[in-house]
Amino acid sequence: MSLFIASIGFGLITAAVLALAAVGFTLQFAVANVLNLAYGGVMIVSAYAAYVVNEQGVSVWVAALAAIAAGAVISLILNGLVYRPFQRRGTSSAAMVIVALGMTLILVFGTQALAGPTNVSFSMSQGATLQAGSFQLTVAQVAIIVLSLVTMIVVHVVMRYTRLGKAMRATAANRDLARNCGIRTDRVVTLTWLGTGALCGMAGAVFGMDAGTFGATSTDLFLVLILAAVFLGGPGQPYGAMLGALVIGLATEISAAFIVPDYKYVVAFVILLGMLAVRPTGLLGARA
Amino acid sequence: MVYYITTLLVYGGVDAIACLGLSQQFGIAGVTNFGFIIFQAAGAYAAAVLSLPPDSANGGFQSYIGGLQLPFPLPWIGAAIVGGLLAVPFASIVGKRLRGDFAAVGLLVTAVMFNLLVTNYQPFLNGAAGLSLVPSPLQGSINPLSEGYQWGYAAVAVLLALLTYLFVAHITKSPYGRTLRAMRDNDVVADSLGKNLRSLRTSSLVVGGAIAGLSGGILVGFINLWDPQAWGYAETIVLFAAVIIGGLGNHRGAVLGAILVPLAFEEATRYIPPVPGDPGLIPALQWVVIGLLIVVFLWVRPQGILPERRRVILGAAGGPATAALAAPGASIVDDAALLPAISASAAPLPVRLRAGPYGGAAILECVGLGRSFDGVRAVQDASMSFARARLTGIIGPNGAGKSTLLAMLAGTLRPTEGRISYRGEDITSLPAYRRARTGLVRTFQLASEFKRLTVMENLITAIPGQRGESFRGALLGRRYWGAQERDAVDRAREMLERFGLLELGDRYAGELSGGQRRLVEIMRSLMAEPEVLLLDEPMAGVHPRLAHQIGEQLVSLTHAGLTVIMVEHELSIMDAFCDPVIVMAEGRVLAEGTMSVLRANAEVVEAYLVG
Repeated sequence: MSLFIASIGFGLITAAVLALAAVGFTLQFAVANVLNLAYGGVMIVSAYAAYVVNEQGVSVWVAALAAIAAGAVISLILNGLVYRPFQRRGTSSAAMVIVALGMTLILVFGTQALAGPTNVSFSMSQGATLQAGSFQLTVAQVAIIVLSLVTMIVVHVVMRYTRLGKAMRATAANRDLARNCGIRTDRVVTLTWLGTGALCGMAGAVFGMDAGTFGATSTDLFLVLILAAVFLGGPGQPYGAMLGALVIGLATEISAAFIVPDYKYVVAFVILLGMLAVRPTGLLGARA
Repeated sequence: MVYYITTLLVYGGVDAIACLGLSQQFGIAGVTNFGFIIFQAAGAYAAAVLSLPPDSANGGFQSYIGGLQLPFPLPWIGAAIVGGLLAVPFASIVGKRLRGDFAAVGLLVTAVMFNLLVTNYQPFLNGAAGLSLVPSPLQGSINPLSEGYQWGYAAVAVLLALLTYLFVAHITKSPYGRTLRAMRDNDVVADSLGKNLRSLRTSSLVVGGAIAGLSGGILVGFINLWDPQAWGYAETIVLFAAVIIGGLGNHRGAVLGAILVPLAFEEATRYIPPVPGDPGLIPALQWVVIGLLIVVFLWVRPQGILPERRRVILGAAGGPATAALAAPGASIVDDAALLPAISASAAPLPVRLRAGPYGGAAILECVGLGRSFDGVRAVQDASMSFARARLTGIIGPNGAGKSTLLAMLAGTLRPTEGRISYRGEDITSLPAYRRARTGLVRTFQLASEFKRLTVMENLITAIPGQRGESFRGALLGRRYWGAQERDAVDRAREMLERFGLLELGDRYAGELSGGQRRLVEIMRSLMAEPEVLLLDEPMAGVHPRLAHQIGEQLVSLTHAGLTVIMVEHELSIMDAFCDPVIVMAEGRVLAEGTMSVLRANAEVVEAYLVG
């Protein structure tokens, strides 16, 4: 039982990191209609950006701002210089996957070429351990969960109550119609990449904190968790991604505690493949 | 030095074989199998455990299943078989109607999962450490380290690559290959022309899988070890990069790509001395370069270095028509003479019609047919029966549900309610390709030509029952399907001639004007030997004069027994040719009758004016 409760703690942290990543990913899909498989690459570059600042003696929580900035800028460039031009030309969605994978190689191995093949760690304090029975989290872990929760609320407020959020939802539903209604869809798409890029960067920094040590290829498998969370909730559905992140985070960590840690990703794989096979629009999605 | 060259040759052969398999599967059949590398891996593992002794007898330091110690060449054959068999379950993923990128993600993730499972489950294939000491073929009789053996191995690898090339080229030039390319260009349309997508995709996956498996078997016999690191997802990207850079749909391009990408970037550079103090730099930069190559090539030259070859069928035969058209002294009465026109309108078009045994008056009927999209009811409670050998028109304002109705009749869309019967038999749940095979053929409202097939190929593809269209037929070769193919070419040429488009026969259909493409689609549907023809706005973009000529031809075909159901906006066409005419509005059938009756119907007029 105590193992179960402890694994819930781990699951919540994984879910917190995953939610930051998955919401950004799913919004990119919703608004820009691209499955950005380079997302994990952008995350890791951002994490390294935070690492470089952190190395200068800056607190990792401040250094995370560098990750956010890096994520936003890289995502903006990625869309403006790569995805958007290909889409304008009418490149098929399957070919876009190849483009995204090519960009993944460039980002991940470019980072490895610059930073070297050895893993790095943030210099940070985990803080005191808060304990309630067998449920225990460090202060840093609680901070990650709170940060993720606050960010989710911000995403909710932006999507629901601001002009930008409405424009994003309209663009996601039907870009041509939105443009004909006077929405400057290109600007909406650009702002979406900026915002989701910031989420991606934040996710990268938090991923690095949670993982302890990370290297250029560390997010390869994490991307599968992101995809599982996104497809579970329904691609393009931000609330679905939050739900998916919670389910996948808990499912992987609980199964890691009770089966074999090596197979914790397999649960996510099975969920992802099952969703693709049975209901590719996700639990919360209706749009095909 | 000898070892360096022979190693490069073996790798070159292996990479070429793998790329040819992917070229067949992705370049020809359009199946984006991002799990391709696991077929090579499966072949390598299979060859390894088939040639290794049982693990207990092998020092016991590694554990694996099998260990059959089979003599060469059985491990290689086993590698190909395992690769092919592994492809069968994959067909169910690819067979689903998923967005291209969703299917790609599913397959990519499957490949990653296989890798994870093999890495972590040690008893199966020795886990992360992988298999080592895999015997070289014939190592009992020849020393694998001798130069002669190395040269021999290289020669065999290159020879097998050549044979693989001949094999894929052989099946690609057959009608089967043409049908695969049609499916690649537009699977929904291929489906509506009676092509069984599931079996075509399964055969492509199995052929590609077997070829990839063979390549793995050859590789493992040479390097004598195989571990999960050798087949990460990135290796799949390398193979895709090779095929894209070489040229999609061109097998020679695939070989060139194999030499340029995996061989030149991965293997040849393996011997660049590492940068002092940073041994990982060169490999990391290699990956960056491969990523750049993919993105830059897809942007600058998406067709690759050696683009797909256009299949010229008519050759010079297409020439005279052009010459006649532009012959000096030909009296051009009006501009219309320059337009394509159906020649000798009196004679019927060269169409083979199917006549089923069913003798009832209504050949096609639907009862209470309905279809909803996310709660929007596009068609509801549509009940109608279509008389045999009549040209029935369907009109109605935009959004009336005409195209949805047609799609349900043809099987492209599943109805959410109601029943459809054809020749008195319930076909509600019959898939589109099987309806097409019984003579229920449709066209599409939006451009639906097979873009990278020539006009001739578009027409020939539609012909049902081609002997060379099955994988088996393709294997049997031209001697088996050649005579029928010549007949098909003649029929397609005759059709083109009648539409005055012979000079366009060898052009890519994707290069034609909108009106010309409409004509290609009409001709193609006629080549499909229809009994009932469902036409969705066939005249849109077609010159009015030609449209009327087509209308006349359709009417004369109905005299020969063809049933035509035509959605059209052009009322003059309806006036001239269609009887009866069905009016739809807001998803329902509003009225039915001759045009003159309908014009007097206030409700119909209002629906049109309001709509």
